Amino acid sequence: MSTATHITQAPATSSAPSAVTAKALKASASARRARSAKIKLWAGAILTLLVFLPIVLANFLPLADPNAQNLGARRLPPLSDGYLFGTDQLGRDLLSRILFGGQTSLMIGVLAVVVSGAIGVILGSIAGFYGRWADVLISRVLEAQMSLPLLMMLLLVVALFGPSIPVITGVIAIAQWPEVARLTRSLVLVEREKPYVDAAKTLGLHKISILIKHVIPNVFKQASLVILLLLAQAVLLESALSFLGAGPQRPFATWGRLISDGQDYITTSWWMVTLPGLVIVALVVGVNLLGDALRDGRPRRKNRKEA
Amino acid sequence: MLTYLPKRLGQGLLTVFLTVSVVFLLIRLAPGDPAAAFAGPLATSEELAAVREQFGLDAPIFQQYLIFIGQLFTGNLGTSYSFQAPAMTVVMERLPYTLTLATSSILLAALVAIPLGMWMARRADTGGEVGVNVLTVAGQSMPDFWTGIMLLTAFSVVLPIFPASGFTTWGGLVLPTITVAILQVALISRMVRREMVNNFNSPYLTIARSRGVSERLLTWRYALGNAGIPVFTALGTRFAAMLNGVVVVEVVFGWPGVGSLIVRALETRDYPLIQATVLITALLAVAVQLLIDLAYPLLDPRVRLGKAASV
Repeated sequence: MSTATHITQAPATSSAPSAVTAKALKASASARRARSAKIKLWAGAILTLLVFLPIVLANFLPLADPNAQNLGARRLPPLSDGYLFGTDQLGRDLLSRILFGGQTSLMIGVLAVVVSGAIGVILGSIAGFYGRWADVLISRVLEAQMSLPLLMMLLLVVALFGPSIPVITGVIAIAQWPEVARLTRSLVLVEREKPYVDAAKTLGLHKISILIKHVIPNVFKQASLVILLLLAQAVLLESALSFLGAGPQRPFATWGRLISDGQDYITTSWWMVTLPGLVIVALVVGVNLLGDALRDGRPRRKNRKEA
Repeated sequence: MLTYLPKRLGQGLLTVFLTVSVVFLLIRLAPGDPAAAFAGPLATSEELAAVREQFGLDAPIFQQYLIFIGQLFTGNLGTSYSFQAPAMTVVMERLPYTLTLATSSILLAALVAIPLGMWMARRADTGGEVGVNVLTVAGQSMPDFWTGIMLLTAFSVVLPIFPASGFTTWGGLVLPTITVAILQVALISRMVRREMVNNFNSPYLTIARSRGVSERLLTWRYALGNAGIPVFTALGTRFAAMLNGVVVVEVVFGWPGVGSLIVRALETRDYPLIQATVLITALLAVAVQLLIDLAYPLLDPRVRLGKAASV
């Protein structure tokens, strides 16, 4: 399995000639897979941090006020004096608007993932562990929701209840919980057949405490891998909602809103749409690559063996 | 089969019914008054009351709901406030546009994604493949409204090849189709790759190879053939999702479909129109899902409907 050990052993046993050369091992499927997972891991981490760090540190960076208008400096192209990303139609610093808007986008994304993760793990594990009517009920709701016009429903709720941060977070969480619940359910279905569950039952533990103390901790690690992919989705969903005018208005316009505002000036000021979009792409690609690399799991498993 | 079909049909209809009921309640619980949106800000309270009576909104919600259920059976969901025409007719006029866009997108996606996925599976984790793989991740990560605006700028403003909005010529279909298809190509090609790589690593394939089956047959018949069901399911599910998921792209391209219709209906609190749109899209989504399930036995003779209905 672990190619690293084979390669390090090769010189030690070189007295016995083998048809398997170090070069052949390097070209083997599992070595290649490990290498591509590593590339993805690094590329993902770099991209994510490149966007994430400036957003988190935005309050400490020497940035202009994102809402300060300077009508003498309207629609300046990027890299013009003092404005790295240029300015918008009211002379506001685009970089600063992207970073402060990003704080709201990221906060909504993270909160939504936490909420949907909690709902998904709880309902999924109940469905998987108790089975019977609980499973039937939860699975039906899952199926129903997956066959529904999702974005339309989200728009509906946001349009009707107002684009406040709690509403948008809740809506995205509700859109995402089925994925977590399905995964958790399938993991718990496997887990509950394991001997330790029977042992715990024999020892007289209550079903609920078996589920909470033993089964959920055992599936949690696997279920949590999906978090990064959900975060990427949440950021995209939020930007789509705010593009359609159903995004939070305060304190700062989020990314989708920046893009829809810039749309009117696309022919003369390309940066107002292009740059916020590129920031979204960089973040989402980064998070997706990280999630991919971690799900492939090669580097992690190797580390655990070596440790 | 004889019990399977009615059972699935019943479940599907129940899902649709619950959906429209939830929407019915939601739009009435939410703040905002369709009468005010219709009559304008200068309307007096008498005028507002008259509009409410005309729309049938002065009745208690429960009574409105009973009327609504009656309407469901007749297929006439009332008159759209803003179009002043039967809501169902308005939706049905827009539906072909959304269907056209969804169909052309899924066709393009399948034509590109399946060969691309096969190529990625054959060369899994080689230098070039990792690059393409990262590109598919990017395709999955681009917000579709942004891609749309970028394509629009590039190919109808800077290089005026395609019309910028609407569906007046067939050329108008190109950019929206590409915009929708990018995400689908990314998702489906990755899925084809994953399924085929799994198949390439399975014992049955090793055995077939050791018995001298040609690589070409291994790729097409064995690895691709067995990836057929999951890929087909994914294509169907993506298509069903597209019937209502192209809202954003429709707005960007001024596409006269159901998606841009619902955005407008929500803005004007057009209750009958919202309900008709949700009803039609939910019905379509459920119908497509049912068709996919019914097609399983045709693709894989091992599948018997009804026995493993709850997958």
